[in-house]
Amino acid sequence: MGVVLRTERLTKRFERLTAVEDLDLEVREGEVFGFLGPNGAGKTTTLRLLCALIAPTSGTAEVAGFRLGQQDELIRASVGILTEQPGLYERQSAEDNLLFFAALFGLSSVVAREQTERYLRLMGLWDRRTEAVATFSRGMKQKMAIARAALHEPRIIFLDEPTTGLDPDAARTVREFITQIRGEGRTVFLCTHNLDEADRLCDRIAFFRRTVIRIDTPAHLRAELYGHATEFRILPSPRPEHLVRVRSVDGVSGAHLENGSIIVKSADPLLVNPRVIRALVGVGAEVAYVSDRKVSLEDVYLRVVEGT
Amino acid sequence: MSTLATTASRQTIVRAVCVREWRESLGNRLLVGMTVLPPLVILFAGIAAVATAALVPPSEKDVAALYAASPAVVGLDPKEAVQGLIATYFLILFMLIPTVVPLTIAIYSVIGEKSARTLEPLLAAPVRVGELLLAKSLASAIPAVIVTWVAYGIYLGSVSLLGSAAAVRAVTAPRWILAILIMVPLLTLLSVNLGILISTRVNDVRVAQQIGGLVVVPVVGIGILQVTGRVVLNNESFVNTAIFLLVCDVVVFLLARVAFQRENILSRWR
Repeated sequence: MGVVLRTERLTKRFERLTAVEDLDLEVREGEVFGFLGPNGAGKTTTLRLLCALIAPTSGTAEVAGFRLGQQDELIRASVGILTEQPGLYERQSAEDNLLFFAALFGLSSVVAREQTERYLRLMGLWDRRTEAVATFSRGMKQKMAIARAALHEPRIIFLDEPTTGLDPDAARTVREFITQIRGEGRTVFLCTHNLDEADRLCDRIAFFRRTVIRIDTPAHLRAELYGHATEFRILPSPRPEHLVRVRSVDGVSGAHLENGSIIVKSADPLLVNPRVIRALVGVGAEVAYVSDRKVSLEDVYLRVVEGT
Repeated sequence: MSTLATTASRQTIVRAVCVREWRESLGNRLLVGMTVLPPLVILFAGIAAVATAALVPPSEKDVAALYAASPAVVGLDPKEAVQGLIATYFLILFMLIPTVVPLTIAIYSVIGEKSARTLEPLLAAPVRVGELLLAKSLASAIPAVIVTWVAYGIYLGSVSLLGSAAAVRAVTAPRWILAILIMVPLLTLLSVNLGILISTRVNDVRVAQQIGGLVVVPVVGIGILQVTGRVVLNNESFVNTAIFLLVCDVVVFLLARVAFQRENILSRWR
């Protein structure tokens, strides 16, 4: 896969505030790239920089093959953005909203009508195309805004919190849409606080706070940060001597107590787990069950970004 | 993977923005009503004044005051002179229509997009700021010019039917026809561009409206000077004023273009 977006030491300062600092990033064609960070980390500013809405203070970027600062109009024609707010013309119909933007993106009237129908159908809004957007629910407006971002078939779609405030059904439609456009070979740059969503959708994720802290696949991050972990549930609850015994087992790289269980890390659980069970039974522990420890992306996020 | 987007022509962008703004405005009945009301009031007041002057002869005192204020009409039949003067005064008021009618729409054109959060998606499209402002300027100016011309046409017809020969001569004077055809678009653009300039720099609709009210003051001032005979719109001053307005239109548009900072608008608007 080729690189569709590359930044080098991209920096944005607003007077005394540095919103983005020395951002080095590479996003590959056709991937869903998660951009995760706390509130105020500079995610929206980064999106605006990459969509050529605002100019960087220093550094360079190439977006969809065009140089930021030199070919901004071409960048804007090649990307689509879902902004934090849907920002639709509320008095106008869904169809008119999309046709207006299709005209701004230079689509011929025939193509504009085809694309409008395609995306309104995709978002389940075709039957309400003639109604004023003001009558739409929050979820419908969000779907409209996503349709607008994708209308001109951009090479990269930037989505800023696409499922925030949506009901489960609407959120699922949006996730299915993201999966579909990835299937078409388009790149999705996904800013989200929904870590479960990022885990399910993203090929790679970047943890970001003014600059990128880590970039990797969710699976690699889990494995690297937590290794293979197994949960041993002890009844009624594990005692300190159980933990001491487990730590002494050959092959155990780490063990700690967590919510009535002992969490054991090892490089080879198939080999080590039977030894741990024998050791625990040997010191009189009642082992209720043994299971793979599922590390959530939230755990990874908190450890990488928040340092907890 | 290719995109369907191309760089739209300036005409396409201007047409798309104008049509969208007009649809938006026409969807707001109150706005349409308040836009059409001032020209209607001026139109009907003008017709009523000319008709009244035709029916009611002026008193000697009025005639004396008229001759004192306008020595040019001394010697004319008093009734004719009064009608001619009234017809001319209302033509000056017609020059006010294009400064008032589009102002609200122009002021709201950028600040309205800011407050509705529609500006960011708009700026994310491959549209130049100059094209966007030109489109917004025309979207506000064209209806105002048309409304003024239509109102003038009705006034012309009504005065021809109801007024004296002096009144008809006044409203069909080539200088006034040229004023309506040339000055009205220039004044409209000046008003609209000032409204857009204000709209780009202000973050509160109410503040924009308050400042916008000041835009009409210079034009009203010119009208008052004309009515009181301190400024006479002769051929030379007509040409000079037209050139002056044209220069003002361009300068104010360029100022609005400079004042429209994508970055400030996006990052400072809350």
